Amino acid sequence: MTEQSGLSRAQVILLYFVLTASIASGIAIFSSASTITNMFRTATDGLFLPILLSLIAAFLLDPLVQFFERERIGRTASIFIVYFLVSITILTLLMLIGPPNWKGMMQALKADFPRYFGSAVDYFNIKLSSVQTHFPFVKSYDLVDKLRSSTEELLALILAQTPKSAMRIGSLFLLVPLFSFFFLRDSRRIMRGFISLTPNRYFEMVLDIYDHVSWQLAHFIRGRILEALIIGIVVWMGLSLTDIRYAPILGIIAGVTNLVPYIGPIVGMIPGLVIALVDLGMGGQFWWILCVYLLIAQIILDNFILIPILISRVSNLHPLLVILAIIMGGKIYGVLGMIIGVPIASIINIIIIEIRQYHTTYAPHSQIVSQRDMYD
Amino acid sequence: MNPFWSNIFRGSSDQDSLAYFLGTVAIFSKLKRRELNFLENIVHVRNYKADEIVFEEGDIGSGMYAIRSGQVKIYTRDENGNEIEEAMLEAGDFFGEAALTASRPRIASARTTESCVLVGLFRSDLLDTVKKYPAISSRILLGLARVISDRLHQNTLMLNDLKRQVDRS
Repeated sequence: MTEQSGLSRAQVILLYFVLTASIASGIAIFSSASTITNMFRTATDGLFLPILLSLIAAFLLDPLVQFFERERIGRTASIFIVYFLVSITILTLLMLIGPPNWKGMMQALKADFPRYFGSAVDYFNIKLSSVQTHFPFVKSYDLVDKLRSSTEELLALILAQTPKSAMRIGSLFLLVPLFSFFFLRDSRRIMRGFISLTPNRYFEMVLDIYDHVSWQLAHFIRGRILEALIIGIVVWMGLSLTDIRYAPILGIIAGVTNLVPYIGPIVGMIPGLVIALVDLGMGGQFWWILCVYLLIAQIILDNFILIPILISRVSNLHPLLVILAIIMGGKIYGVLGMIIGVPIASIINIIIIEIRQYHTTYAPHSQIVSQRDMYD
Repeated sequence: MNPFWSNIFRGSSDQDSLAYFLGTVAIFSKLKRRELNFLENIVHVRNYKADEIVFEEGDIGSGMYAIRSGQVKIYTRDENGNEIEEAMLEAGDFFGEAALTASRPRIASARTTESCVLVGLFRSDLLDTVKKYPAISSRILLGLARVISDRLHQNTLMLNDLKRQVDRS
């Protein structure tokens, strides 16, 4: 080590130590950060679904609570009254109709599932071979085997999860009413607390934007849930008219997948059509089922009646964004993420639009006020 | 009284409460105690340091402020950007009430001259109240209308005076 190198021996050693220490601490920080995120993930693992469901319940019940509040009843008392009324309604409905035999239906479906899937695969195979005679270069693609293995994995997963999910559903019955009670009672106070943290200079702006966004959000979420509910019930009713089995489950699938625009309804219709094809064949009933799914539920009810009434145009998302939201949601939370990815993207979209509108117009409120008076 | 010996554990007296203060503001002076207690829940108490801007001319207004303590200067600016003092408001005064009914750009600026506690009532909360508690909100709106019509009356009188002066000259 000479003087020409510009660094003395002590400096080199110091540099070496500093570099080593920084690398080591970097690795330590990285690993501890990942353990912290892991801990966070395990801690919040089972909480996502109950919190989501109770938020939805709170949004749906809020207008009812407000109705009682208007009669000079305290908020907590109003919430209890609403809970009481809702539970009585559910109980009377169960007494009148009788609980659908969910468990038996699930077990029968579990037994029937391979049969349906096998027929679908056979049908697909025939189609594929006919395609292959026309376009020979398709041959290299082994789609059927891939599909079979992935679906068998899915089935195994469902089988393994069933005892666990029974526990989970039990805890949902306990947690969802509890959480939504507190959301209903204290959401206003919590949000006021958050808003009061903003600096004085931006306080008015933040309060105004929060007001617009929360109103739009409540409107949007309520609209989407009601839409899914109505579509599910209509599909259930429509399918009940035929001899098809699992009409309630198919109705639920149709309603839930309806939350995803463009792609959801198509995916939601596939299981119904497969079951109809396998059990009932290509007869009049199959066409009626297709008609229920496509014409009655989607075109007439959803497009012409529900969407114009329930959902404002503000929340329209570009199809590209819809696809991106589905993929990203699926990566984060699996099937559940795929379903709620699009509503969450719409919520972000609404927030951005509201903020932009606030900045571009001087009187953003006049419009909102008139809308409010119309709907409430 | 020496604070060391006075009974500081007595709890806040009625006169210290926010509801009592709101009752002293002209807009809310006709409200009953129960309504003032309700109003307490929808206003926002904000703390300002000295020389902090509350709002500026041209901002989109969304509510009114009442001064609980401190002093606020209301001013406009001339073409050269110099401040023209319009008013000096003290505790118990209020300002910005024109923005409660519709969002318009503010016509003047407001700045604190010393550390202040301002109580803000904003349009979004008022609209909420109109929907949920029509009886209370009608009293608040009536007070607002009274204040604004008083202002209008004063302005009309001044305008008439000015007209007469112009005609005479």
